[in-house]
Amino acid sequence: MVASMFNAGVLRRTILVLGLLIIVVLQLFPLVWLVNFSLLKSGDFFGSDVLKWPNPFQWVNYKNAFTLGHVPAYLLNSAIVAAIVIVVTVIVSLMLSYVIARIQWKGNVVLSGLVMVCLIVPIYSTLLPNFFIFQKINLIDNYLSLILPNIAFLIPISVFIFIGFLQTTPRAIEEAAVIDGLSLLGIVFRIIMPISKPVIASVGVLAFLNTWNEFIMAITYISSDKYKTLPFSLIQFTGQYASNYGAQFAVMTLIALPSVVLYMLFTDQITNSLTAGAVKG
Amino acid sequence: MNKLWMEKRNIAVLIAPGLLFIIGMVLLPTAVALYLSFTNYDGVDYNLFNLSNYKEIFLHDSIFWDALRNSILLGIAFVVLQHPIAVLMAILTTHAGKWERPLRILIFIPSIISTFVTSQMWVSLLNVQFGLLNRMLTAVGLSSWKQDWLGNPDIAIYSIIFVAMWQGFGYAYLLYYAGIKGIPSELYEAAIVDGANKWRYGRSIILPLLMPVIRINFVLAIVAGFKQMETVFLMTGGGPSNSTQFLGTYLYSRAFRDGLFGYGNAISILFIVFCLVVTLIMNRLLKKDVGEF
Repeated sequence: MVASMFNAGVLRRTILVLGLLIIVVLQLFPLVWLVNFSLLKSGDFFGSDVLKWPNPFQWVNYKNAFTLGHVPAYLLNSAIVAAIVIVVTVIVSLMLSYVIARIQWKGNVVLSGLVMVCLIVPIYSTLLPNFFIFQKINLIDNYLSLILPNIAFLIPISVFIFIGFLQTTPRAIEEAAVIDGLSLLGIVFRIIMPISKPVIASVGVLAFLNTWNEFIMAITYISSDKYKTLPFSLIQFTGQYASNYGAQFAVMTLIALPSVVLYMLFTDQITNSLTAGAVKG
Repeated sequence: MNKLWMEKRNIAVLIAPGLLFIIGMVLLPTAVALYLSFTNYDGVDYNLFNLSNYKEIFLHDSIFWDALRNSILLGIAFVVLQHPIAVLMAILTTHAGKWERPLRILIFIPSIISTFVTSQMWVSLLNVQFGLLNRMLTAVGLSSWKQDWLGNPDIAIYSIIFVAMWQGFGYAYLLYYAGIKGIPSELYEAAIVDGANKWRYGRSIILPLLMPVIRINFVLAIVAGFKQMETVFLMTGGGPSNSTQFLGTYLYSRAFRDGLFGYGNAISILFIVFCLVVTLIMNRLLKKDVGEF
């Protein structure tokens, strides 16, 4: 009796897992196809096979992707923009959220209302006016034209995440620090910043993903080769080298791969940062 | 007294950078967009200042209203199709034992890849000549179902909606998964002791306790439908014949394709207004709180 119940449970779970796996395979199949075809000759694209064993493996596609797509240079630009956005977003948001969460003063109502409204404003509603403004003040085609709007639109969500954290943190340490004569700035940078490390990591990951994946502002504001970011590597292959399918697929795989690897390595941290903003509401 | 002044100065120092970013990069552009929306600015100069852009949008511009309809359609598709599947998958994976973690990681993979990569990938997948979808239809003997998935104005919008749901599925799933994990496990033990099976537990305990999360995610989904731009931008750019325009792509097309910069700014302003109104309405409608746990 006990054994048969156990078996029924195992059977049910096996069916459940198999069913879920089938769904997941269907969901991920486009990516498998992408990687597969990134190793084929462009001529092989017009067969009828769903998947095709590369014979031989066309690693030259990856070489072409790297050179024709200017991957190293554009990757570096993306990294520069992302690094600056992450650092500034974390510091600015932490400072702002400390005032909203901890200090009782009359400006808080206006301040938190402002942050709330900015959370709703869609980033691309500022695309045209910023294009206009950046042209007037000579910021167009510059790292700053990507950095500044990205930071501004990351601040609201980051502030909410920080406030959520500060509300669950006891004030005892800060009170002791005040008695010891530490100033407000000292408290934020010497006390709050070190204990917020996990939340800072969450906000940092969120800032990284948003900046790394942004491309509409990039293609609108950037035209010189020396400021182009990673999306341009792919865009090269939708225009200039559009018929080089193999290299186009290789460049997509190349761009996707680091994200997937990083996600595999830091699954829990990334999951935390993506859910921190929404679940708490 | 001196100390008090110091603190005031410190508060100012703490809020100044954030405030500057918000004012300079959100409020100022919005004000500039509002100003330009009253003009016929074409990228160089303008000689009118009136309400004609808004008049045109409200009285004659059917593409604008189609774009709005597409946004609503996408939001509804998220809520009616994507989210129920995400909730179900989230509940089911928590019963998958040692497979729970691998499944959770795999399901999220499409969402971690940049939108510009997955969008371009789907352009290839839906390609008429070498795309995977038409290939598979041939493979299972349904050649007659083959389509120009992005080139046919009648079906392009559904292709876009499908791809947007595919891209966002991992994220929707993850939010529900995290919500379920936030429910204390003692509740499960108590329910089992009281004689409930897993199905009953899922329906009578998990779902009601998940309601606040579902509510927030519904608001986010509808707003995401309105904010959609990136996927469409790369896949169709709003075409064919404007059948897949969304507010974001439409303002871009108007400004940079047609050179109607003032008009594009009027769309930007309405874009903001709609997002604010929709968020407010959704929050009001769904403001029915469930007990804390």
